[in-house]
Amino acid sequence: MAKPTTRPDVPEQELLREPAEVKYRRELEALRQNEKDQPPAAWLLSPRAVLTYIVGAKKPLKATFDGKAVEIPITRKFFGDDSIVERAIVTLASERALLLVGDPGTGKSWLSEHLAAAISGTSLLTIQGTAGTTEEQIKYSWNVARIIAEGPKPENMIQSPCMIAMRAGKIFRFEEITRCVGDVQDALVSICSDKTIAVPELPDANMVFARPGFNIIATANARDQGVNELSAALKRRFNYIHIPVVGDQKTEVEIVRTRSAELLERYKIPGRIEEPVLKLLATVFREMREGTTSDGISVAKPTTTLSTAEAIGVALDAAIHSRYFGTGDVGPADIARNLIGSIVKEDLGDLKVLKEYMNLVAKKRAASDASWKTFYDAAVVALDA
Amino acid sequence: MTTILDGAIDLDVGAVERRADAVLAEPLYWFPVRHHSPAVARHLAAALRARRPKLVFIEGPAHASALVPHIVDAKTRPPVAIYCSYRDDDNVLGLAGIASSAPDVPAKFGSWYPLLPYSPEYVAMKVAKEIGAEVVFIDLPPHGQLRPHVADAVAEGEHDGRDTAPSSWEDLAVESAFYKGLAAAAGYRSWAECWDALFEVGGRHATVDEFRRDMAYFCAAVRATTTDRRMQDDGTIVREQHMWRTIQETLAARKRTAADALVVCGGFHLFMARELAPPIALPAGTTYVTVAPYSYFRTSELSGYGAGNRAPKYYELLFEYLAIDAQDAPVRAMIDHTVLVLTRGRRAGEQLSAADAISISQHARMLATLRGRQAPTLDDIRDAILSCCCKGRPDEEGRYLLTAMAEAEIGTAIGRVTPALGRLPLVFDFYRSIDELDLGETMGKSKKTKLSLDLRDVQQERRSVFFHRLAELGNSFATLAPATDSTTMFREQWKVEWAPKVEAQLIEANLYGDTLEAAATAKIDEELAKDEHDAASVCARLLRATSMDLPGLVLRIETTAGQAIDSDTRLVSLASALTSLVVLGRQAARKKIREDVVADLQQRCFARACFAIPEIANVPAEEHEDVITALKTIAEALLGDRDAGFDRDLFVANVRSAYAASTSPYLRGAMCGLLTETRAQPPEMLAAEVVKFAQSRPEVMLTCGEFLDGAIATSRTAIMLGAQALVEALDVLVRAASLESFLTMLPRTRKAFERLHDRSRVAFADRVAELYGLKEGEGDKLAKLDTSASAAMWMARIDARVADVMKEWDF
Repeated sequence: MAKPTTRPDVPEQELLREPAEVKYRRELEALRQNEKDQPPAAWLLSPRAVLTYIVGAKKPLKATFDGKAVEIPITRKFFGDDSIVERAIVTLASERALLLVGDPGTGKSWLSEHLAAAISGTSLLTIQGTAGTTEEQIKYSWNVARIIAEGPKPENMIQSPCMIAMRAGKIFRFEEITRCVGDVQDALVSICSDKTIAVPELPDANMVFARPGFNIIATANARDQGVNELSAALKRRFNYIHIPVVGDQKTEVEIVRTRSAELLERYKIPGRIEEPVLKLLATVFREMREGTTSDGISVAKPTTTLSTAEAIGVALDAAIHSRYFGTGDVGPADIARNLIGSIVKEDLGDLKVLKEYMNLVAKKRAASDASWKTFYDAAVVALDA
Repeated sequence: MTTILDGAIDLDVGAVERRADAVLAEPLYWFPVRHHSPAVARHLAAALRARRPKLVFIEGPAHASALVPHIVDAKTRPPVAIYCSYRDDDNVLGLAGIASSAPDVPAKFGSWYPLLPYSPEYVAMKVAKEIGAEVVFIDLPPHGQLRPHVADAVAEGEHDGRDTAPSSWEDLAVESAFYKGLAAAAGYRSWAECWDALFEVGGRHATVDEFRRDMAYFCAAVRATTTDRRMQDDGTIVREQHMWRTIQETLAARKRTAADALVVCGGFHLFMARELAPPIALPAGTTYVTVAPYSYFRTSELSGYGAGNRAPKYYELLFEYLAIDAQDAPVRAMIDHTVLVLTRGRRAGEQLSAADAISISQHARMLATLRGRQAPTLDDIRDAILSCCCKGRPDEEGRYLLTAMAEAEIGTAIGRVTPALGRLPLVFDFYRSIDELDLGETMGKSKKTKLSLDLRDVQQERRSVFFHRLAELGNSFATLAPATDSTTMFREQWKVEWAPKVEAQLIEANLYGDTLEAAATAKIDEELAKDEHDAASVCARLLRATSMDLPGLVLRIETTAGQAIDSDTRLVSLASALTSLVVLGRQAARKKIREDVVADLQQRCFARACFAIPEIANVPAEEHEDVITALKTIAEALLGDRDAGFDRDLFVANVRSAYAASTSPYLRGAMCGLLTETRAQPPEMLAAEVVKFAQSRPEVMLTCGEFLDGAIATSRTAIMLGAQALVEALDVLVRAASLESFLTMLPRTRKAFERLHDRSRVAFADRVAELYGLKEGEGDKLAKLDTSASAAMWMARIDARVADVMKEWDF
């Protein structure tokens, strides 16, 4: 039997998705080399440099890598109101924890990852909250076999990402905190207020203290509010920053362009999505999300959250579809074919909403615009299938 | 040296600095200001005390200089505002019909110049009094800035005749390439944020000279990136010509040198041309200028204009602390403001603690540092409050917090004007009437006073007239309570409350006339000009004019009303007009109006309305309710006032005509109901129509519910006379209908019967009970509309059987 071989163009060490601190390590290093302010204790960068890392710099930074002077552009990672990022950074430098709240796909986790990467150099000290998350996963657990053999000792403890972050003075990320039940969430109260975790099983080392630099970034889906709402005690210890859905077309097109280009690169899909196609995609998403078109026509809104992340997903799916089953050029027809799955999910009523949009809006525009005609024709075929 | 700011603008920084330095070195001492800026006020006061000029020129309306002693009077307390108004009586500007409702209505304009305790102009006036300097306003009066109408001019929209804020250099600053480039580079989200960061907080300017110099540089850069065309269009150039001429003429008249004077004007105007242009002729007309009490709330409403202020109370705190310790003022103001917000938030039910206040303070300072500021600005404080206290979306979970923030920022201050200032004629007339009508008691109360007026009493009727006139002028002093059961033709309920805005509203209304009678007449005339062919509007105004005791106007409106009635062909409008005329007719004798004239109008209106009925036979469904209300109104006039001699036959003939032409079951039902109600047909005819539905095709039968709904909507009394026949007809209908058809008809039929009074429904149910062999009086079980006839029948049988069984029991 022939031994399976790795494809030559994919190095064995290559990761499908690199964490931010790896992917943007040169930007982070350039910012460190250009640092002008004193960073807070245990922060790798000053708040101003963290802000620059997230919102980008207008001019490239001069830096030295392997003895060579190079210019490193600092790209914008978060699109939208910069004051949101400023408020988030300031919160992390204060004694309060940060809760990023917003609709699905508004970039909460994305911002959280980049903040942790810029402040602590790692975004991996993370817990994904679910209905099954336990208090042990937040604090610590034990290696059962070694406990039976040796009893409770510090080396037999399995530290949670949170405890590691506390000991190292780093940022701990708690994704989708409101998916966890209230009792589990409340494990964070003493961590947020006292900055400690009690370990009663170890009489000689029964307390783990957080070092300066430790803080928490949690995220919560606004659609989950009321499911497992944070207790009043925990709410007090978090500063909430609401991340709105991107409102203006220009910013949305910019986000879709940037993020889809990154994803296309990751999936080794050649080419790019042209501006008119991106604009068409952003227009459809914005109009259906707001329930009003640019020419003032009221349209029904789907139950699905039409976030910018969904638009990026459509762009990527369209590019992959075109690469493997089409000409390789992403056109309005590819967008139309991949739109349905994004808009029509659990509620089949959204199919009717999409059809209404096509009949009321897209059809009318198709009469005078070639891109919209291609889009409309493909959508009709896909909707009838 | 040319510097490119953020890659967006070219700015010769050297030239800007040279230009500013040249102005700052002039013998005439120019002090650049921004309206309502505490920092400017503080530095300006210091400059005035240090230089002690003999003359202080201030950028205020030149024709208001005489008001300065009243503004700085010890009994005047800001916020107050200079109010300038202008009425173009002879249409010299050609704006009648463009900036007013009709060519024969003069265009009117008004402008407010608010003065807060920390407005640089107000502080300058106060310090000028302190040092014995004369104050002269130099700006072109607002009516001098109005441009005559030019046919096909693009800017017609500018003359909308409304009150406006005076134009400000800040509007130009926001549009300038310099500001735009600066905002993009520094991340300022608004002009106010930019200003606060650069000049208001942080104590970057230790001396007056530093502050004055930086402001002059900033304004020079703004001016260098503003086009001449924009300044022409905005009126800046013509205003500056007037300012320069006033300065020169005043210096010459007072025999003073430039070094004896100090000019307080917008920073932009430091760079006005130093050339004497020809004097600017002011248009002829009626002008008023006065000082009136103002409020922080009104000032905040103008936020975004130069005359406005986004947070009057917050800046007041800042001003007070600037006087104590300029360096520490922003932080102390922030703490006071935060406590105010949290206190208000807690009152609204928000859980906000002292720990939140500490976090806000820390957060705001850190934000300021991150944003490169030396101290927190209002924007930093706002962001910090939202970060630390808003647990979710600001517009949802944070809505009470946002309200608390707005209240704390704006404050509730209301100003007062010295009694020494003479009042405008209309204000004088108001207070004279208050005295004459013995209403002085209501002036001292902060809450609303309820007044019940019996119009048969002469004094109380005069009060009513006074209140109606004020209400017509849009004044909030008196509000007529909605009619209740206790309201009669001779009784009115009013809520009366005096507030400073009452006087401000009177001042604005002064443009309409010097007395309440004249102003109310002019106001109604203006409105009449807008819709003189609308019978409903004209007759409603005729009624109002009667309530306002405006006999001259009543006579004129009578003529207009006749013309409107003759030209209006819309049933709804004519029916509304008829209602007004019927009410007027009842008041005619008491109001000393010629009853024959009113009766004639009523007759004409009734006849026109009758002729309009056939036109509504097939109006769209969305107009059905209005049409039915109109038909009922005419029928009520016909049936209610038999002495009026309305032509019943005319009404019936036109209703019959519409009935025959209509294809809408609902309207047909309504007209059939009207014919029954007016006894033009016996009640049995209505039942016969229902039977026709029972005999029709299924799709026609389904519309019977709509027919009944229309019929019961217009006929209440007469329909009860034919209840027996109607019940029998409905029984025929129900038997003829399939289950599906019945279920389809049911909702509308139920709706129809729900229009009836409870007693009428029980009476109908009794007829149903009798039809099904129940006793009279058992109908109430059916009247609940959730019990079927057969169920009721079974219940009655069971009751009877149970009673029989119980008789045999031995208790």
